[in-house]
Amino acid sequence: MGVIEVNGKQHELNEEGFMVNPMEWDRDIAAALARQEEGLQELSPAHWAVIEFIRAYFLEKQLAPMVRAICKTTGFPLRQIYEMFPSGPAKGACKLAGLPKPDGCV
Amino acid sequence: MTAEPTKDILEERLGRLTPADIRKAVETFRAALGHQGAADLNACVHCGLCADTCHYALTSDEPENPPAYKVNLVMAVFKRYFTRLGRTVPGWVGARELDETLTREWVDVLFGRCSLCGRCNLNCSVGLNITALITAARAALTAIGLIPPELQSTITTAYTTGNNMGIAQNDWVETVQWLEEELQAETGDPTARMPLDLHGARMLYTVNPREPKFFPLSLLAAGKVFYAAGESWTLATDYYDVTNYGLYSGEAPVAGELSDRLVRTVERLGCQELILGECGHGFNANRWAAPEWLSKRYPFRVRSVLELLAEYIRDGRITLDPSKHTEPVTLHDPCNLVRLGGVVEAQRFVLRHAVQQFVEMTPNREKNFCCGGGGGQLAMTRYAQRRLQAGRIKADQIGATAAKVVATPCHNCMDQLSELNKEYKLGVAIKTVCELVAEALVLPAQ
Repeated sequence: MGVIEVNGKQHELNEEGFMVNPMEWDRDIAAALARQEEGLQELSPAHWAVIEFIRAYFLEKQLAPMVRAICKTTGFPLRQIYEMFPSGPAKGACKLAGLPKPDGCV
Repeated sequence: MTAEPTKDILEERLGRLTPADIRKAVETFRAALGHQGAADLNACVHCGLCADTCHYALTSDEPENPPAYKVNLVMAVFKRYFTRLGRTVPGWVGARELDETLTREWVDVLFGRCSLCGRCNLNCSVGLNITALITAARAALTAIGLIPPELQSTITTAYTTGNNMGIAQNDWVETVQWLEEELQAETGDPTARMPLDLHGARMLYTVNPREPKFFPLSLLAAGKVFYAAGESWTLATDYYDVTNYGLYSGEAPVAGELSDRLVRTVERLGCQELILGECGHGFNANRWAAPEWLSKRYPFRVRSVLELLAEYIRDGRITLDPSKHTEPVTLHDPCNLVRLGGVVEAQRFVLRHAVQQFVEMTPNREKNFCCGGGGGQLAMTRYAQRRLQAGRIKADQIGATAAKVVATPCHNCMDQLSELNKEYKLGVAIKTVCELVAEALVLPAQ
């Protein structure tokens, strides 16, 4: 188990860097996860648009959205999503949005 | 402020084991082992050769890693409950009670240090089916809830929602329709289809739910190849998930039901063939294990999409331009598809037609090393660090080829290889075989 410290508070991460307690998430944690887990020093407005959509979807449905929904809502083509988040929609974008690790082959 | 560590369900369960739990585990173990397993346990000659075959043992000196150690753990329980000497003088014959200590070790070693890749089986000096022994022990643990919850969650999601990522049917249908529009744009043909529930189509195609959820380009690639070949095919609106994690929990009734859904879907849609998408364990489960789980002979053919791609090339149904791929391409052999599944040459035949420079890894084919992500390891987050460490062998193999692209006909391997790519800074692109073929397709002029 790892932790990430943000604004003086420690937050538990699982062995793959996903938040153990997704409800603790805030934007500062996302930015810290981006640096620590994805090597992204700065999050652009485009990154935030993706992260905020995933977060809102998760809060409503307790699930990660389909990548189709991410593209449709944000207007970004699929290839751009992959470029923006080097570890992909699940281990990149969803992780930064504070979601737990999805089931399946990810 | 320090985070309060979150309680682990598995740990809690281990602390509350009852004698009834142990009886249930032993009975499940007996049934899962069967006469073949019992014979194998009696046949082990403790030569220890298996240690040199296992990616866990080769990348770490921890004593729990060699397959012989794992077999011994299973054997200790077999002796204690099923042999006279083990019951009367357990200490003399290495028999051990399945108590909390041993149960904990079973979980840690048999779930946490094995990807069920079968490389030890192949190299066992007396030919034991070691993966079957470990699967039998996993079945016993699963029966009393001692399966890592991350793995159980993937199985439960598949069982209750119809696919292992819990994709709602409308989301799946919308994604397929979106891909159909993309296919029409790519081919310039407004009649190009990604058919859903097309009754009477020749074949039913199945996918890994990870494709529609996060990585739909591989499904689009398959659709493009089927379009070019003029294939009569369909996807199903309900059961399309090629994966079957029941193979890794050892729970045959659950695994059987997951596979039977595909069988029923082929029958519902009146297809003549079930084509399994690029998924190693899905191939092993649905092609080889399921007819045994279900005690049923299928009235239709079951093949991997790789075999279909090879047939298209042989029959001249698709034309490929290998100059689309000039960089060296290597191939990872998924254990369940190749060593345990028997599909060995089709993917090589296809790649030689799709790329200019195809380079083999060493060793390859049935002697390949596991990527490290099989056996449910990718799902079991708690063992992630071991998984990445055990994957070092695969990372070294890839590095030695100097390839720029790694083809892998398995989405589970793809995810592990992507992690190895990051961890070991390999700098390769990882693609499915369908993707490489689709990129090299020469479409007939409109």
